[in-house]
Amino acid sequence: MSKAMSMDFLRPMTWAEALAAKAADPEARPILGGTDVMVELNFDRSRPSALLDLTAIPELAEWELRDGVVRLGAGVPYSRIITELGDLLPGLAIASRTVGSPQIRNRATVGGNLGSASPAGDAHPALLAAGAEVEVESVRGVRIIAVDEFFLGPKRSALQPGELIRAIGIPVTGGPQQFSKIGTRNAMVIAVCSFGIALHPAQRRVGTGIGSAAPTPLRAHAAEEFLGAELDWDGPLDRAVANRFGELVAAAASPIDDVRGTAAYRRHALSVLARRTLTWSWEEYRCV
Amino acid sequence: MTTVDMRYTGSALDRVEGLEKVTGRARYAFENFPADLVYAVPVQAAIARGEIRAVDVDAVLEHPGVIAAIWYGNAPRLVPSDNADLAVFQSRRVAYRGQYIAVVVAETYEEAKEAARLLRVEYAAEDHDVRLRADHPNMYRPEKVNPNYPTDTEHGDPDTALTVAPVLVDATYSTPAEHNNPMEPHATVAEWDGDALTLYDSTQGASGVRDTVAPLFGVPPANVRVISPHVGGGFGSKGGPSPYVIIAALAARHVGRPVKLAVTRQQMFAVTGYRTPTIQRVRLGANADGRLTAIVHDAFEQSSTITEFAEQTTTPTRIMYAAPHRRTTHRLVRLDVPTPSWMRAPGECPGMFALESAMDELAIACQIDPVELRIRNEPDADPESGLPFSSRNLVACLREGARRFGWADRDPAPGVRRRDRLLIGTGVAASTYPVYRRPSQATAQAHRDGRFTVRIAAADIGTGARTVLTQIAADTLRTSPDQVLVEIGDSALPAASLAGGSMGTASWGTAVVRACEALVEGLDRRDGDLPAAGMESSADTTEEIGAQRRLSRHAFGAQFAEVGVDTDTGETRVLRLLGVFAAGRIINPKTARSQFIGGMTMGLSMALFEESIMDLEFGDYLNRDLAQYHVAACADVRDIEALWVEEDDPHLNPMGTKGIGEIGIVGTAAAVANAVHHATGVRIRDLPIRLDKLMR
Amino acid sequence: MRVTFTVNGSQQTVDDVWEGESLLYVLRERCGLPGSKNACEQGECGSCTVYLDGSPVCACLVAAGQAEGRTVRTVEGLSDTGLDPVQEAFLDAGAVQCGFCTPGLIVQAHDLLERVPDPEDAEIREALAGNLCRCTGYEKILDAVRLAAARRTAK
Repeated sequence: MSKAMSMDFLRPMTWAEALAAKAADPEARPILGGTDVMVELNFDRSRPSALLDLTAIPELAEWELRDGVVRLGAGVPYSRIITELGDLLPGLAIASRTVGSPQIRNRATVGGNLGSASPAGDAHPALLAAGAEVEVESVRGVRIIAVDEFFLGPKRSALQPGELIRAIGIPVTGGPQQFSKIGTRNAMVIAVCSFGIALHPAQRRVGTGIGSAAPTPLRAHAAEEFLGAELDWDGPLDRAVANRFGELVAAAASPIDDVRGTAAYRRHALSVLARRTLTWSWEEYRCV
Repeated sequence: MTTVDMRYTGSALDRVEGLEKVTGRARYAFENFPADLVYAVPVQAAIARGEIRAVDVDAVLEHPGVIAAIWYGNAPRLVPSDNADLAVFQSRRVAYRGQYIAVVVAETYEEAKEAARLLRVEYAAEDHDVRLRADHPNMYRPEKVNPNYPTDTEHGDPDTALTVAPVLVDATYSTPAEHNNPMEPHATVAEWDGDALTLYDSTQGASGVRDTVAPLFGVPPANVRVISPHVGGGFGSKGGPSPYVIIAALAARHVGRPVKLAVTRQQMFAVTGYRTPTIQRVRLGANADGRLTAIVHDAFEQSSTITEFAEQTTTPTRIMYAAPHRRTTHRLVRLDVPTPSWMRAPGECPGMFALESAMDELAIACQIDPVELRIRNEPDADPESGLPFSSRNLVACLREGARRFGWADRDPAPGVRRRDRLLIGTGVAASTYPVYRRPSQATAQAHRDGRFTVRIAAADIGTGARTVLTQIAADTLRTSPDQVLVEIGDSALPAASLAGGSMGTASWGTAVVRACEALVEGLDRRDGDLPAAGMESSADTTEEIGAQRRLSRHAFGAQFAEVGVDTDTGETRVLRLLGVFAAGRIINPKTARSQFIGGMTMGLSMALFEESIMDLEFGDYLNRDLAQYHVAACADVRDIEALWVEEDDPHLNPMGTKGIGEIGIVGTAAAVANAVHHATGVRIRDLPIRLDKLMR
Repeated sequence: MRVTFTVNGSQQTVDDVWEGESLLYVLRERCGLPGSKNACEQGECGSCTVYLDGSPVCACLVAAGQAEGRTVRTVEGLSDTGLDPVQEAFLDAGAVQCGFCTPGLIVQAHDLLERVPDPEDAEIREALAGNLCRCTGYEKILDAVRLAAARRTAK
């Protein structure tokens, strides 16, 4: 009997069953919308021992708002984030609109894309900027991982054997949020680079997230600190501050040359995106 | 010579096979299910050059469902031919990474796929050389260029003329490798019955596949039947049988059961052809008034080590503009790369990017409007052969396009028009494509109920061939299209040339007209009194086409583009695209307009996105899927329009047509690049126009 | 494994499905429904678009087992009687060339008009963003969707 023939298809109906199944076979590959996992299978890039289909577990497809945090079930597709969470999580909703195509957004999920930890995942910069936390669970218990500690390398995450992503906790900042990405094409684009920003007016802080410009999605810490110190929250945006912010964001990245663009271009484009999204956010903030 | 009355020809008849396609009932090659079928999954070479030492066939034969694993070591010998690409499993040599070197046959697709994945191949790898450069020491002069043009031409004394020219443009352009990527991946279902082979194949020419495949298996062509009623696009890549067809037939014979074989999208980047990358140096010498004194166009291209495919990149330069001193050359280097082949307008498409970019540079150098510059250099006759043009309406296309596009008040200064974050620019380029015609055969049959059946082994790869042949037959038979059934896509039908070279309608239409004329004559003689079996006439156009007068026959066009370039990011969008074409009579405005616009869109795609990137370390194309090889999507194409000017050319064929499948892609990329220069002041000479090139 | 689901109104039970197989493969190779096309296997081209429980998805990215107990509708099942207005409009507008992208486009356009009866051009382009066509240059496809919308609203 070859390996292929022995692949299992596991379809837990409850979260507890899912955790038990993952504990019994840590190699089982969780699958939600299939937009990452099925490509791997179709292209014969990987042959997991089992597919662990999580789409039959009702609570994964739900979200709730509690104490100023949206607990987004790992299996909520992007199309629902766009229609249901645009007010609460504007940055994530904007990013969600740029994910793949309508067909992809009907299936793909934040939980699934986190699981595959692609450096180019469109939701990741928005999650970083908002200060999201990933709620993971195994039969051993629950762990909460800050999203900027979740990505360890290209397609490598902080998930430990037996752990599944249950939900993503995303604080509702009440402030403007933006996301922008650069692509060659007008649609269906893997980002050449992308950037997410979230104003946290209550804390007088700005969150950032960079995509496709380093081995992992990441925050621009120095840029955040700079804005924390220099932004005049009661006045107009100082152009020099915005420019410096752009430079610091670009400096935070460690892009490479690849099929989609050169490293130098990515740095340049990131500074543009950072400046732009800050300007848009600031205009919105000043108008409220 | 134009004899077909325009009653139904010239009208917008709906696509005759449209109903099957919108309901999902149209059957494509892989959707045939002969009884007792098995699946074949081919294995690709994991080195770019070297030898296969061993393949561990026995190990995979133990896997469930596996019926056979075939490679050089155990493959049946094919009859040698001059097509080395088709000599599958006939040698230990690996000529390029991704070459098919083995195949696994199993009861199910999954079992075959799994065994193919696990098949252990031992190689003796050698250093490979996959990088095209103009100064490659192994550059050579091929004997001829595709399909049969002289490699080089020279008239007058171009070197001296360039030296003394008051204005000189000397620039080097490059175009990347591009892949055809029809939406339907190549596939075949092969079934043997004794010594007779049936192939359900996705092909642009059933007759050609039959004639090529049969001798490899030592059977007469009559023993091979190729069935291909619907083809999901080809753009040249399905012009002849690719290795996968031979593998399917070989595997089916080996296991004695029908075999299904689908080339995957990723495999297509190695095994079904592509457009060669080119490096082109163009030198234009001109007087201050823009009149050309010299044109020199040198092209450098690649082919594989096993097959010489020399693209005819500089041939359009031979006919485009008047100049007393001129030279065109082609040089080729054989690298450890997949064999390039036809991709929509081979030669004209990359060649005209270079020439029409250079013309734009000349217009700027001479401070002449680029439309006017082209009109000023319009030749009276074919500038190299001296033959008269059968018709040439480039000037009419340029003028009509300029009028429609609102070109008249264009400020030539680059980099000065802003709209919000965008820099706006416009550009123009000319298009051209030769008018070919090849011999074909057809039959026309009258039935007693007043209906007709016309038969020809033509191919409809989405062009509308079935529809326009119905119109042509209806007019010739003096009946209406709903009384005519046109049967195509089967090599059992009268032999026909392939769907390529924009010559389908001209070639097949001529045969259909002659068969229908003969039938009408026969019917007239019998005064309409038909025997029970009906009546059939046939035609073979070999003689007619062989006797046609020597003329320079070409279609022409002009393309206008408006682009917006983001000043900060370099993101480039084509805001408007207008093509005006002079391509003889248009048989069906509905299908024709779609062909032109489709070609222009592929040209837009070439300008901005398409690029197959060679991995120098491993020796294969890196971005081999549709997520990484970008083709234009719906959102990239905004305001796009194609028009044509009336053209009545009596020297073509009974329909008066010139062919429209390819000219739409010719010139588009130059029009876009010229518009980008007008917008930004940045001249992009190496396609595609990537963001990072604009922000350097 | 065995998978049971409803496709185009009738329940189907399919045996010997490989666990890593896609819904697209099951439809095309096991259910006799090759109308949905296989062109990229990675959700990039939309040729395999089908309805899954009422939402258009790329069937190549749905694991066969995930269709268990669910409802699938393909281009073959779009209309019980004659042609759906979208299919008719694709014919009339000349939006079909090679036909390989057509089934996916028709399902996707059908869904758009179910949700947005009178879409703006921008909405059409957005809805069809994930359906690649290599032949037509999309213009006629846009025409077809506009035509279908107009006819549906007129009814």
